[in-house]
Amino acid sequence: MNAVHHVMGADGSYPLLVALWLLPLAGAIACWAFGPQLKTAAGWLASAVVGASFVLVALSWGAGTQHAGGALGAHQALFSWIPGFDLGLLLDPLSLLWALIITGVGFLIHFYSMGYMDGDRAYARFFAYMNFFVFAMLTLVLSDNFVGLLVGWGLVGLASYFLIGFWFERPIAAAAARKAFVLNVVGDVAIMFAIFAIVATVHSTAFGDAFSATGAYGPGLLFVICVALFIGAAAKSAQIPLHTWLPDAMEGPTPVSALIHAATMVTAGVYLIARCAPLWNASHDAQLLAGTIGGLTAVAGAILGCAQWDIKRILAYSTMSQIGYMIMGVGVGAYEGGVAHFFTHAFFKAQLFLASGLIIHALADEQDIRRMGGLRTKMPFAFWAILTGVLSICGIPGFSGFFSKDRVIYGALQHGHPWLYAAGIVTAGLTAYYMFRLLFVTSLGEYRGDAASDSAHHPHAPAWIMGVPVGVLIVPTVAIGGVLMFGGDDSPWARYFAPQFGAQSLPAPAISEGLTSIVVLLFVIAGFAIAWWRYATKAAQADAVARLARESARMPALLTNLFYFDAVLDLLFVRSAQLFGTLSARVFDPHIIDGAVRELAFVTRTAGVFVQSLETGLVRAYALILALGAAGFIVYYALVAGGLH
Amino acid sequence: MLVLASILLPIAGAALLSALPRDDRNVSRAIGTLVAAATFFMVLFAGNQEWSFRWLSRPFVAAFHFGATPVSFWLSLMLALCTVCAIAATKLPRTRGFTAHMLMLEGSMLGLFLTRDLLTFALFWDLMLIPVFFVLVGWSDRPATAWRYLIYNFSAGLLLLLATAAFGIIYGSTDVIGRSDVHLLGSWAPWIFAGFTVAFLVKTPVWPLHTWMPPTYADLPAPMVAVVGAVQSKAGLYGFIAIALAFMPDYLRQYSGLLIALGAISLVYGAAVALVQQDAKRIVAYSSLSHLGLILIAIAVGNTLALQGAMVYIVAHGLFSAALFMLVGYVEEREGTRSLVRLGGLGKTNPRLAGAFCIACLAALGLPGLAGFVGELIILIGVYQAGYVWPAIVTLVSIVLASAYFLRLYQGIMNGPEVEDLPVRHDLTWVEGLAVAPLLAGLVLVGVQPHAILTAFAGIVK
Amino acid sequence: MPVAIGNYIALSAVMFFLGVAGVILRRNPLVTLMSIELMFNAANLLFMAFARAWLANAGQVFAFLVITVAAAEAAIGLAIVVTTFRDEKNVDVDEIRLMRG
Repeated sequence: MNAVHHVMGADGSYPLLVALWLLPLAGAIACWAFGPQLKTAAGWLASAVVGASFVLVALSWGAGTQHAGGALGAHQALFSWIPGFDLGLLLDPLSLLWALIITGVGFLIHFYSMGYMDGDRAYARFFAYMNFFVFAMLTLVLSDNFVGLLVGWGLVGLASYFLIGFWFERPIAAAAARKAFVLNVVGDVAIMFAIFAIVATVHSTAFGDAFSATGAYGPGLLFVICVALFIGAAAKSAQIPLHTWLPDAMEGPTPVSALIHAATMVTAGVYLIARCAPLWNASHDAQLLAGTIGGLTAVAGAILGCAQWDIKRILAYSTMSQIGYMIMGVGVGAYEGGVAHFFTHAFFKAQLFLASGLIIHALADEQDIRRMGGLRTKMPFAFWAILTGVLSICGIPGFSGFFSKDRVIYGALQHGHPWLYAAGIVTAGLTAYYMFRLLFVTSLGEYRGDAASDSAHHPHAPAWIMGVPVGVLIVPTVAIGGVLMFGGDDSPWARYFAPQFGAQSLPAPAISEGLTSIVVLLFVIAGFAIAWWRYATKAAQADAVARLARESARMPALLTNLFYFDAVLDLLFVRSAQLFGTLSARVFDPHIIDGAVRELAFVTRTAGVFVQSLETGLVRAYALILALGAAGFIVYYALVAGGLH
Repeated sequence: MLVLASILLPIAGAALLSALPRDDRNVSRAIGTLVAAATFFMVLFAGNQEWSFRWLSRPFVAAFHFGATPVSFWLSLMLALCTVCAIAATKLPRTRGFTAHMLMLEGSMLGLFLTRDLLTFALFWDLMLIPVFFVLVGWSDRPATAWRYLIYNFSAGLLLLLATAAFGIIYGSTDVIGRSDVHLLGSWAPWIFAGFTVAFLVKTPVWPLHTWMPPTYADLPAPMVAVVGAVQSKAGLYGFIAIALAFMPDYLRQYSGLLIALGAISLVYGAAVALVQQDAKRIVAYSSLSHLGLILIAIAVGNTLALQGAMVYIVAHGLFSAALFMLVGYVEEREGTRSLVRLGGLGKTNPRLAGAFCIACLAALGLPGLAGFVGELIILIGVYQAGYVWPAIVTLVSIVLASAYFLRLYQGIMNGPEVEDLPVRHDLTWVEGLAVAPLLAGLVLVGVQPHAILTAFAGIVK
Repeated sequence: MPVAIGNYIALSAVMFFLGVAGVILRRNPLVTLMSIELMFNAANLLFMAFARAWLANAGQVFAFLVITVAAAEAAIGLAIVVTTFRDEKNVDVDEIRLMRG
C-alpha cells in the first residue's frame, strides 16, 4: 500500500460532477419517501432531476475532455473507504459519453414513462426506481476504481431487479427478476475475483494503478484477470452463455426495457472492456476470447431473433445480438468502433422499444406480433418511428447504425480476425431479415387482434407525452452517425477518442472498407428480400393468418427451445445445487451427523444398562465383590508384581 | 465501574421484572427496553475502562476483571443494540418472564464479551445458555430442542472449562484476555488448543457440529433468536480471536488448513441447504451457518485484511441476521405461518414490511454498498493475498447461492399474487418499524463507512 | 515375655476374615454391623501390635481414630436399621433392596 498512486484525470474540485452524480439519488429518495404525497408530480420531479443531471453533464464537457498535466479528464477525490482504498469520481471522454447517454436518453425515457405508467398503482415507486437506476449507472461509469465500479455494477443489477419485477404480484415477473439478479451476481463475483488479483499485485483498486503497470501481473494472471472481468461483462451484457436473463427481463414495463435492457445497463460490459483497454491490449488471448464470444453472441442472438413472436423478445434478442457486435469490437481492440455502436444503438434501440411501447400500450398490453398487423394505417406515427429504427439497425447507408456497425465489422478484420469479420457480415443479413419481419408482420395487411387499436381512445394515454420522446429520438436515430462518424479517422468521433485509446497503426487488410460496406449491404438486401418475400408480398398479406400459424407450427425445436441454454444451465447449476441441498437436509444432517450423535447416545445407554445389572441392591453381594476385589489385588501384588515392598 | 455496572444492570433489570406483581405486556416491555437502552449507552460510554477484583490466587490467578477490548467493544455494542430492538418488538405471551430472560441473556453475554479473565469467560459461557434453555422450554412446544441445545452447548462448555483449567495451571493465571505477551507452549498446549477450538466450533456453529442450530433457531421465539442468532453465535468466533489467535497463534496456523476446510464446507453446505428449505427461519438459520463459515476462514487465514474484514462482517452479520429474524417473526405473528409454501403476496398490502425485509435480505446477500459486501470483499482480498485461492472461489460460489436463496425467501413471502386464505393484516406499526430501523441504518452506515470498525484491529494484529 | 508379632498378625487375620465372612454370609443387619466392628478391631489390634513392636505412637493414635469412626458408623448403621425396621417390619438385609439399579 505504499506504492505510488497513479491517478487518471486531473485532480481537482468539480462540484458539478458530484452534483450530477448525486442528483438522481436525491430524486429517488424523494420519490420513494414522499410517493403518496407527490402523486403524479413524482414523474415530473424524477424527469426534471435526470434532465438537470444531463445539463450538468453537458456543462462538464470541458472538464471531461481537458488535457491537464498529461492527464485526460477530471478527477474528484471523494473519501477513503477503508484504509488504503480511496473512492473518487473520474470523468474522461469515455465516461463522459456514457454519462451523456445515461442522462440524455434517460431523460427522454423518464418523460415517456409519465405517459406509459400513468394510472399505475405504484407510479411514484416506479420513478424512484428509475432515478435510482440512473444514480447507480452513473456510479458505475464515473467511478475511478474497481470497487466503486463494482458497487455501481451491483446497484444497477438491483435497480434492474426491482424494475423487471415491478409488477411483482405476477409470479412470472418475479421469477424473471430473480433470474436476472442471480445471473448478474455471477458476474459480480467474477469482478470481485479480478479485484482480488489486482489488489494482490498492485495493492490498490484505482484504475490508474491497475493500468499503469500491466507487466506486473505476468501473462497468466493477466489472462485470468481479463477472463474474470469478461465474465462480469458477459453477465451484465447478456453474452452467451449468461444471456438467458435478458429475454425474460422483458417482463418489466417497456420504458424499463428501453432504458436498462437496451440503451444503458446492458452495455456496461462494453464500458468495462473499453475502460480496461490497457489490460486487454496486453493480453492477446483475452482479446481473442472476448471477440469470439461477442461474435458468437451476435450470430446466436440474431438467429434466435428470427424465431420469436413477442415484439419485445424480438427486440431483446436483437439487443443481445447488437451488444455482441459491441463486445466483439471492444474485445478485438477496435474500442472506438465498439463504443460507436453503443452510442448509435442507444438511440435506435431506445427508439424501437419506445415505439413498440406505443403499440403495446394502445393494444392493451398485446405483445404477440401474430395478433397485430395493419398498424401502418392505424398507428402511422409508431410505424414511421419503427421504420427509422429498423433502417438504422440494419445499417442502411446514411443512417446512424450504418457508420458504427461498419466500424465494428471492419475493425475485426483490421485487428486480424477474419472469422469474426465474417460473423459480423452474416449477422447483418440476419438482422435485416428479422427486423423487417417484425416491421412487415406488425404493420402490413389487416389487423388480426381484437383490442381497441386506436391509441387516441385508450383511457389514460396523453399521447403527446409519449410521442414527443419518440419524435426526438428519430433525429439521432437517423442522423447522428452521419454527423459525427462520417470521414473515418478525421471524423469528430475519431478525434474525440484519439486521446483516450491512442492511435493504432494497423496493417491495411486485403479488403478495403468500401468493399466491406458493399458486401454488408448485399447481405442486408438479401435479408430484406427474404423477409419481403415471406411477409410482404400481396399473397403473403392476404394469407397472413394461415401462414403465420404454419410458421409457428413448423418452427424447429432447437429454436423454440432457444438452443437449450436455459435447460442446460438449469440442469447443471440449479438442479444440482438443489439436489445437493436436499440430500444434505434430508439425509446428511438427520442420518449421518445426528446419526453419529444418536449412536453415541445409544452406546452410552447400552453400557449403562449393562452396568446397572451389577447394582443388585443386595448388600451381601456388594460385600462379596468387595472382598473378591481386595483378594484380587493382594494376589496380584503377591504373585504377579513380585511381592509387596 | 461503569463496565461492571453495564453487566449488572440487565441482570438487576431481570430481577426487577421478576418481582413485578402483574404480567403486563406494555409495562414489562417498557422496562425491558429502557434497561436495555441504558445498558447500550453504558457500554458505549464505558469505552475501554477496566474494573478488576482478585478472585483466586491458587492454583492459579483468576480475577473478576472486566473491560472492553476493541474487538469486544463492537460485539458488546452490537449485542446491546440487538437486545434493545428485540425487546422493543416483543409480542409474546407472558412478556414479563420473557423479557427477564432476554435481560439475563444480555447480562451474561456482556459478561462473556467484556471479561478479561478466561475462567470468568468459561463461567459466563455456561451462564448464557440458561436463559435460552428456559425460553425454549417455556415458549416453544418442543422441549427436545431445548435439551439438544443444552447438551451440545454444555458439552462444549465442559471442554472449554477443562481447557481453561489446564491453561491456568500451566500458565499460572487466567487473567489474560487482551494481553499480547501471553503465549502458551509445552506438550499440553495442543490439547488446550483443541479443547478451546472444539468448544468454539460447536458454539459458532461450524459443520459438522451444527445440527443443534437449525431446530434451536426455528423453535426460539423471534426476539430471542434475533439475539442468539446474531450475537451468541459470535461467542465462538470472539473466542477464536481473543483466545486461540491471541495465545496460541502457532497452533492456529498449524491447523488453519483444517479450519479453512471446515469453514468452506459450512459455506457451501449451509447455502445449499438454505436453497431448499421451506421454513423461513430455517433458511435464515442455514444462511448463518454459511456466513459464519466465511468468518472462520478469515480468522484461520489470519492476516490483517482478513481479520479486519472478519470484524466488519461480524458486525454486519449481527445486524442483518437480527433484522431478518425479527422480520420473519413479524410475518409469522401476522400470518401464523412461516412456510414459503403457504406465504406469498404480502408486499402488496405491507409495503413497509416488504421494504425493510428487502433491505435486510440485500445486505445479507452481499449487495455492493451495504455492510455484508464490505465484509466479504475485505475478507476475500485478505484470503486471496494470503495465497488461498480456492477458499476465495468457494466463497464466491456461495455468494451466488446466497443471492438465489435470499431472493427466494424474499419473493416467496412478499411477491406473487396474494394468497386468499391468509389473514390480511396491517403493515408495520411504528414500534415495529422503529425496532428494526436502527439495524437497517447500521447496515447502510457500515456499508458506506466501515472505517470505524476497521480500526478495531489496527493494534491487535502484529 | 513379649508375645511374638506373628501371633498378633495371625489373630488379627482370623478376626478380619471372621468379620468378612459374617458380612457376606449373615442376613441379620445387626450381625452385619457386629461383623464390621470385628474387622475394625482386627485392624486396631494390628495398629497396637505394630505400635508396641516399633515403638511408634502413631499407631495408637490411629487406633483411637478408628474407634471414633467405628462409633459414628455404628450409630448411623443402627439408625438406618431402626428406621428400616419401622417401615418394613423386617430385618433381613436380602429383603431390603432399595438401591437396586
